[in-house]
Amino acid sequence: MAKLKVDGKEIEVPDHFTLLQACEEAGAEVPRFCFHERLSVAGNCRMCLIEVKGGPPKPAASCAMGVRDLRPGPNGEAPEVFTTTPMVKKAREGVMEFLLINHPLDCPICDQGGECDLQDQAMAFGIDSSRYQENKRAVEDKYIGPLVKTVMNRCIHCTRCVRFTTEVAGIAELGLIGRGEDAEITTYLEQAMTSELQGNVVDLCPVGALTSKPFAFTARPWELNKTESIDVMDALGSAIRVDTRGREVMRIMPRVNEDINEEWISDKSRFIWDGLKTQRLDRPYVKKDGRLQPATWGEAFQAIKAAVAKTSGDKIGAIAGDLASVEEMYALKQLIAALGSESIDCRQDGAALDPSLGRASYIFNPTIAGIESADALLIIGSNPRFEASVLNARIRKRYRMGNFPIAVIGEPGELRYEYEYLGAGTETLAELVSGKGKFAATLKKAQRPMILIGQGAIAGEGGAAVLAAAAKLAGAVGAVTAEWNGFAVLHTAASRVGGLDLGFVPGANGKSAAEMVTGSDVLFLLGADEIDLAARKSGFTVYIGSHGDNGAHAADVILPGATYTEKSGTWVNTEGRVQVGNRAGFAPGDAREDWAIIRALSDVLGKKLPFDSLGELRSKLYAAHPHFAEVDAIATGNGDEIAALGQKAGEMGKSVFASPVKDFYLTNPIARASAVMAECSALARNNFKAAAE
Amino acid sequence: MFEPVLLKNVYVPDGHLIATYEAGGGYRALEKALKEYTPHDIVELVKRSNLRGRGGAGFPTGMKWSFVPKRADKPKYLCCNADEGEPGTFKDRIIMERDPHQLIEGMAISAYAIGAEVAYVYVRGEYVLAIRRLEQAIAEAEAKGYLGARILGSDFNFVVHVHCGAGAYICGEETAMLDSLEGKRAQPRLKPPFPAVAGLYASPTVINNVETLVCVPHIVARGADWFRGIGPEKSPGPKLYCVSGHVRKPGLYELPMGIPLRELIEDHAGGPPTGRKIKAVIPGGVSAPVIPEQGLDVGMDFDSLAAVGSMLGSAGVIVVDDTTCMVRVATRIIEFFHHESCGKCTPCREGLNWVVKVLRRIEAGEGAAGDMEQLDMLCKGIFGNTFCALGDGAAMGLRASLTHFRDEFVAHIEERRCPFV
Ligand SMILES: Cc1cc2nc3c(=O)[nH]c(=O)nc-3n(C[C@H](O)[C@H](O)[C@H](O)COP(=O)(O)O)c2cc1C
Ligand code: SF4
Ligand code: SF4
Ligand code: FES
Repeated sequence: MAKLKVDGKEIEVPDHFTLLQACEEAGAEVPRFCFHERLSVAGNCRMCLIEVKGGPPKPAASCAMGVRDLRPGPNGEAPEVFTTTPMVKKAREGVMEFLLINHPLDCPICDQGGECDLQDQAMAFGIDSSRYQENKRAVEDKYIGPLVKTVMNRCIHCTRCVRFTTEVAGIAELGLIGRGEDAEITTYLEQAMTSELQGNVVDLCPVGALTSKPFAFTARPWELNKTESIDVMDALGSAIRVDTRGREVMRIMPRVNEDINEEWISDKSRFIWDGLKTQRLDRPYVKKDGRLQPATWGEAFQAIKAAVAKTSGDKIGAIAGDLASVEEMYALKQLIAALGSESIDCRQDGAALDPSLGRASYIFNPTIAGIESADALLIIGSNPRFEASVLNARIRKRYRMGNFPIAVIGEPGELRYEYEYLGAGTETLAELVSGKGKFAATLKKAQRPMILIGQGAIAGEGGAAVLAAAAKLAGAVGAVTAEWNGFAVLHTAASRVGGLDLGFVPGANGKSAAEMVTGSDVLFLLGADEIDLAARKSGFTVYIGSHGDNGAHAADVILPGATYTEKSGTWVNTEGRVQVGNRAGFAPGDAREDWAIIRALSDVLGKKLPFDSLGELRSKLYAAHPHFAEVDAIATGNGDEIAALGQKAGEMGKSVFASPVKDFYLTNPIARASAVMAECSALARNNFKAAAE
Repeated sequence: MFEPVLLKNVYVPDGHLIATYEAGGGYRALEKALKEYTPHDIVELVKRSNLRGRGGAGFPTGMKWSFVPKRADKPKYLCCNADEGEPGTFKDRIIMERDPHQLIEGMAISAYAIGAEVAYVYVRGEYVLAIRRLEQAIAEAEAKGYLGARILGSDFNFVVHVHCGAGAYICGEETAMLDSLEGKRAQPRLKPPFPAVAGLYASPTVINNVETLVCVPHIVARGADWFRGIGPEKSPGPKLYCVSGHVRKPGLYELPMGIPLRELIEDHAGGPPTGRKIKAVIPGGVSAPVIPEQGLDVGMDFDSLAAVGSMLGSAGVIVVDDTTCMVRVATRIIEFFHHESCGKCTPCREGLNWVVKVLRRIEAGEGAAGDMEQLDMLCKGIFGNTFCALGDGAAMGLRASLTHFRDEFVAHIEERRCPFV
């Protein structure tokens, strides 16, 4: 800790603090543009100037000086800094005026207006008029892709965007070119950016130089209603804010959650929202004469009742999709049980995860923040960059700290950090389990090794054996100890851990998802769009969900549901963290919240579920599964379960691991309905082709 | 009469060849250093000599070397700053073209002192002949065992690489130079960490100017007392002065540190052309504040020039006679800095952009009332607030012009034309 005085107030702060952070700690406001807590220090904007007592007779950039660089007074007094002296005030006004001389001041037509650091700080720290009488510089706008719009006259050259892409995203695709007056931010050849995290530069840019292209000119920030919620585009549960005007979602922004996403979100999470408005199922449909036709809720329910009446309980089944909330899965599970069936499954991909093996066997035990304290990483059958882009940035963050050996078994890919490629599949894993190879020794030597298991490793034929082998390896290298559990299952589906927690898996006499496709008379698909239904030649299919996607196309009855922004729901992320998302708007037309649909249907089927409101549903849910009530907490997995799982390790057979995410931008029905995601997907495919050529 | 030391070989035919250099006693200082001194001895010797860096700032060289950690798990590097971008400066070029072995010997001894086995010479890209001669000299020195493994039977290994700059003045700033050497965009780095601790490739690095390094063999050969005996005690040694502008004998002069500026111009460089009078002199490259004629009795050393509000800088002495418009001079200099500003920090990037526009207006006879106050204000807004010394230097120089030659600026504004045309 270091002692210092800020404007006469004595405080104590950690040694690594910058003066800027220390001033803030003391409650003194220091304006800044280039400084950002999560990026390296640039010290280029010069807005954060303060006065250091006993230093040179000029102001110091407080972001670029550490408290440990301060000298105590001649008699050992605590060093002193000032943030409000005339020297500081003049210096700030000067810098502010300089920043504005070439700034277009086109605030009335700027999307940053109302949430612009430059506006705010000019108000607070600038002078009221400029003495600049010369012509302003003009900078051409740059094309940098479909997501980020540029108005380069507004750029103040803080390089936050450059530092973000280089440091956090791990791809140096934005840069400052040209010198002095000609300095410009660009992707050099004006090609589209490729990072899955590029949208974050919109938030980082302190001015309106980089703004959201899809959001351009659609709304002013002060017209928007802001709802705090949870993202479901992957299994991280990133903290988001959904901004709506009337019923319409206008944009999605990240919120800070240090445990999960810090302050980043992926481009899918951010730019998905146009997909909320297209391909929507806004009324029930019933198949008549071989064609799906609009129907009333009553007609749709009667059609289902007729189909259910024609079969027996064991021929009924339900598959939950990747975006389903715990509440609707809970309701559906109750209904299916009431109809006399044990055929339920939340694993569309057939992943060999089994809740009976214990929670530790299917969650990301070390936690996302825990990645930072790991000291070796083995990735098995996963491409975290596409499966969980923000988590991948956390791996990169750890990688940048140094001394973090990483190795991959599975598909080799560009992960935004260096790693050792060990092999493609089970054979390599088997070797490692038997203790062969350099990396086995690396893991063993590590104090906190992490073994990341992707769905791509366990969804295949020998999935259960692979999972057990990974557990055995974890045991062998000491990845599970009293203080550390490095067994990390990385999910891709937001619904998955919640589903496993609920036991949304086949009972002893039940059928798995794949078996249900061919072997059930009545099949309920709760937003299940990622399962191959081509093999379903007969039987009656009910689709409950929001979009006209794969599931709806195969349905006999469609019950229109709500998307994640249109309902309050619980999701459990890959770490096993329970989180609640909030409703930001209403589902379109006749569409309803999914739990309510299931509840209404249960009545028609004569199996009335015992709750009339979401509140009642939740109290039943919490009674049966108390951990769902512990919002934001993780019910920790038991390390012994990993050891027990390791005991089951046996022959894995020969197979190679492939990531389940073939196209980052199109992983769910909302994404597939989004024109923005389609454009990104096409660009990514072309880039991939171009790179291969 | 002062006997040249640094320029001794420069006038010798074929002075750039190793045979000539050896014949004149070349590489003996290296031999002496390796055989008779420990690295620590050399650092102490250079400290005692009071050698101060010739790149501009005049930082004590021995002290700079002593900041390099003794034990380090990373390699150490020596970088020779041969970017020589300061307008009015051409001393390093002459050394590299005519006497490159002197520099190689200086680097070898300096590298031995700090424990570096690799050195880079960052040469201004336009110095084509210098680059060629240096490369040739390195090859010769390698062939003769003055470079390479186990030099002269010692256990000291040392290689030198030449790196060509691509024409940005900022690359002469030592940390920007390191970024450029690493293949990055050249922009000054934050300090701390200082290069001596984390410089090139985050390893301990010493950066010295060409002239600084060529002083070293002479200090080894003749001793610290000899060096300290030349010129002022605190800022001693033989010094290269680049005299250009309105003098009859422009050129490179080697004279003691501290020689009066007037003597340098009048006695050595032949004074101004007949019928002209000196109006002002820029003593140390365009970053150094201008000195009006009355001030020419100042001594040419770091401390004396600092005392009169100017600086020795690169000792690029630019003489301006009475036919010259000082507004034109100031504008041209600011145009240079404006062009060369790297664009990193706001006051330099935006401030110089503003200054240059005002100056161009004034020079073109389009100045307005209030322009002088605006220029004063701009100097204040830039000076002291920039990231590196480029912006400060520009503002300091302009401030001196505004102070000493205010009447010329005012005349431009009032008469709405340049009185010199
Ligand atoms: C903008 C700028 C340009 C510079 N250009 C040069 C140069 O061309 N050559 C040089 O030796 N030093 C130059 N310097 C000074 C170097 O940063 C550094 O102080 C010097 O190389 C250190 O060597 P010395 O200790 O031997 O003087 C420049 C400094 C600045 C701020
Ligand atoms: S585009 Fe924005 S973030 Fe990037 S340098 Fe310019 S102002 Fe900063
Ligand atoms: S003062 Fe000028 S040259 Fe130096 S960092 Fe700032 S912009 Fe670049
Ligand atoms: S915030 Fe410190 S220089 Fe920009």
